[in-house]
Amino acid sequence: MNTTTNHSTAATRIWLVLVALTVLTWAVGESHLGGPVIVTVVLATAFVKGQLVVEAFMGLRQVRALWRIIMFAYLLLVCALIGLGYAVGLQ
Amino acid sequence: MTSAELTLDRTRGNALPGDFAIWIFIFAELGVFALLFLAYAFTRAGDVELFNASQSLLDRRSGAVNTLALITSSYFVVQAVAAIKRDRAAVCSRWLIAALGMGTVFIVVKSAEFYAKFSEGVGLDTNTFYMFYLSLTFFHYMHVWMGMVILSVVAWKAAQGHYHAGAHTGVETGASYWHMVDLVWLILFPLVYVIR
Repeated sequence: MNTTTNHSTAATRIWLVLVALTVLTWAVGESHLGGPVIVTVVLATAFVKGQLVVEAFMGLRQVRALWRIIMFAYLLLVCALIGLGYAVGLQ
Repeated sequence: MTSAELTLDRTRGNALPGDFAIWIFIFAELGVFALLFLAYAFTRAGDVELFNASQSLLDRRSGAVNTLALITSSYFVVQAVAAIKRDRAAVCSRWLIAALGMGTVFIVVKSAEFYAKFSEGVGLDTNTFYMFYLSLTFFHYMHVWMGMVILSVVAWKAAQGHYHAGAHTGVETGASYWHMVDLVWLILFPLVYVIR
């Protein structure tokens, strides 16, 4: 019982972090900010948000390392390749 | 190996939450979305000006509000899973209904956004950016609908007493699918609405 209650409190904290990071991304969008540094920050934020959802919400923190690695690699690869696509567009 | 080590080992070796079949589906969906995201990113590289100009006409507030709606609904689903693990089926069902409420917010906001774009005469053939914007967000929109059907069934079954602390795979299966829908949007929103 205690562990599930603690789990709920942890989930509430994660939710607040996700809300804060979303507001940050939104603010960047509304300010029409761009460029390599900003895009790196936005993509890193997306990666962190994705990891939080995968680990804490989907509950992959409790499963075999293999599944966690697959999801980690997926998010990292997708965010990195989006960044690469952006970099190609700068040329 | 001591019994404590055995317990630890068993925790480490845990399987994915919910029915494994849903995970095959989740991985397949994530693969398709990844290809669409990369197709967008690399097509954009060929026509940055057009993508930036069209992107600036999007309703970023709708995109952000929908991100908050999906994040919050995912959080409610986490609470639903925690409730059924404590054997609180009625509480589980209520959290799922709350999650469905947030899903409805997403659907209403996104539908209004589509309506506004179509009213402006925007369509798939307007330009390459809009072709991607419409197909990517519509494809995701269909997944939100699908997730809501799944969550509705799970909420109904939970209310009927089909699940309890010892048997809640169905709740975790629905939850995993819904989190995937949220996860995809967390990349789609910055990619299409923000990055420039």
